[in-house]
Amino acid sequence: MKMKRLLAGGVCIALLPLAAAAQDTAQCKGQLASLSVIGQGMPAVTALDAHLAEFNAKWDTEVKITLLGENERRAKARLDASTGAGAYQVLYIDEANLAEYVSAGWVHPLADVVPAEYDLADFRVDLANVASSGGVLYFAPFVGGGDVMMVRKDLLEAKGLGVPKTLDEMVAAIKATHDPDNKVYGWAARGQRGSGMNVWRWTPFFRAMGGEWLDGETPIFNSEAAVKATELYIDLMKSAPPGVGTFNWSDSVEAFRGGQVAVLIESDVFGPWMEDPAKSQVAGKVAYAPPPEPLPSAGWAHGWAVSSVGAKDDCAKVIAGDFVGWATSKEMEQQRLAAGIASDIGRVSTLQSEAYRKSVPQEYIDAVLATGSRTNLLIMASPAWPEIGDTLGLALEELFTGTRDDVQGALDEAVFAAEDALSRVK
Amino acid sequence: MTRQRFIFLSLAPALTVLGLLAAISTAGAVWFSVMNRALRSPDYEYVGFYNYLRLLRDKRFFNALEISLIWELITVTGTLAVAILLAVLVHETVKRPLWRNLICFAFLAPVLLPRVAAAFIWRFLYSPSLGLANWFADLFGIGPIEFLADPSIALVSVAVVDIWQWGLFFTVILVKLLETLPRDPIEAAMLDNARVWEIHAYVTLPMLKGPLISLVLVKAVESLRSFDLIFVMTGGGPGTATETLDLYAYQTGINLGGRVSYASAMSILLLIATTLAFTLIWRAGRKWSR
Repeated sequence: MKMKRLLAGGVCIALLPLAAAAQDTAQCKGQLASLSVIGQGMPAVTALDAHLAEFNAKWDTEVKITLLGENERRAKARLDASTGAGAYQVLYIDEANLAEYVSAGWVHPLADVVPAEYDLADFRVDLANVASSGGVLYFAPFVGGGDVMMVRKDLLEAKGLGVPKTLDEMVAAIKATHDPDNKVYGWAARGQRGSGMNVWRWTPFFRAMGGEWLDGETPIFNSEAAVKATELYIDLMKSAPPGVGTFNWSDSVEAFRGGQVAVLIESDVFGPWMEDPAKSQVAGKVAYAPPPEPLPSAGWAHGWAVSSVGAKDDCAKVIAGDFVGWATSKEMEQQRLAAGIASDIGRVSTLQSEAYRKSVPQEYIDAVLATGSRTNLLIMASPAWPEIGDTLGLALEELFTGTRDDVQGALDEAVFAAEDALSRVK
Repeated sequence: MTRQRFIFLSLAPALTVLGLLAAISTAGAVWFSVMNRALRSPDYEYVGFYNYLRLLRDKRFFNALEISLIWELITVTGTLAVAILLAVLVHETVKRPLWRNLICFAFLAPVLLPRVAAAFIWRFLYSPSLGLANWFADLFGIGPIEFLADPSIALVSVAVVDIWQWGLFFTVILVKLLETLPRDPIEAAMLDNARVWEIHAYVTLPMLKGPLISLVLVKAVESLRSFDLIFVMTGGGPGTATETLDLYAYQTGINLGGRVSYASAMSILLLIATTLAFTLIWRAGRKWSR
């Protein structure tokens, strides 16, 4: 009996810190009138609306999500953190600006602020790698992945062609299916300037040609490989819908979904978008495959991080951390699947779930798995990347739209500007 | 209390607030323009006139200056031309007050539309594959026209939206002004067998010289604030074909590299240039309207 009492007492003492922590976090209820969050209109974000009341009730707060376009939310988040305004406790960040945010100390390491119950180890390895810097996870990735090639089976079969496996085969298929008189175009791609726009889609071509961003600390993306990649990209754009020179990802995806395009390489999250019969005219007609060799797959991830500028005091940190964990949890992903949203998957457990397997074609899952080993962060991992990428994007847009035609000259100017940007980082 | 004292005391609070706001933001911009502040880092230091000197070697800055000037010319002359033509047309052809009021009401609608909404609507109308504009072009066997992706017509395509909004609004103002003109000079011209266009060219429009100059100035100032329209429709592209100075300053200071100081220098130069230009235009306008 005495032994039992001693044991019980020991357990109670051992649990005291946990109880104290629970009490500490519980004391935060009602301490934060509103939680401000920057978001981008991805399905995983917009679907949260239906569940926010649950979180609001838990913390007696009001979550306010500001939805912005990709370029705008990058600008807004950077402005909020860098000026010390700290109006947002939760920031939406991605692969392109992680290095900048970490080097500036604008975000908390995730493990410091997200409760362990949300199982950070369950995030997909490919996404977690992109969301980490120096082995430390900084944002909770709820969407991301690599590239997948989507082709119209019916159009290719009509020309006696199979799914392209090499870049040369893909170019041939694009030329063969291009039929502008009947409003069918061989190819679509991003042309609009931006490090996350045209540069993102151009980069696999640049890398496939052997291109490198830097030689030591000197930018060299005006190399022969870059010229060759740009010339091929421009050539393929001749087989694309009118206006492609200023297309963003949405324009490309909608052109494909609208039945106008034969071949599209895009981020794999858009695969399930093609199979929604209510919005897609090509549902059931699409074959999915890894990007043709030697194109690599551009790894990316979007997610939420807790701002060290906006969430300074303990309660703001606790509530913001809990929001990030809750909004990207396994349970939330299962609820999204139940609501028919299969595009934004950040967790291994969801990929392995029966519900996911039922909601997308097996061919798509196979293509995503086959691409995994070729998925890498292809952009320059530097705090100066947003500026360098945007300058390069402007040069590419000028070339894609015919504002200028000297490929080498345009790339030389982008490299010249990059030297300046890199020297300022030092 | 004397009348003058009353006027002074009534205006003083508002003028003080306006003056303080203008002075603080301008002083802030001047301060930043001689530093090397970037959003990436909280550290910065005094660099003198480096940002201004760099601007003088920046081709993109001069391109933006040129685009801003062309934008001003196209939108101001386009708006006034559309407004004068439509106002005369409505004045001459629509005699019943009810119809005239209905037309004026319809002409007011575009300017009541938020700029961003108008930009999105027209972006869709201009779409090469799905837009109405290209559907019409297709009927005549032309196209598809890449209104916003072709650098040679992108600026004019965006300007059309601005003129659509403001030209119709100014039409309403001019119709109402034409209605208020004294009939005697017009009837005298009619007795001299003057044709309709001659009556307007030599009688009514010269009588409206003062209001027309005011409209030109209002539109010129308004055209400087077209950031939202251009940003939504083209983002300054294709390339830099529609990149005005305010867009370039935004791309540099906020969107592109977070180079706040460089963008501030650009804003100060823009402030000086527009103040000078508008002072000269204002003086010329006053002389012309006498």
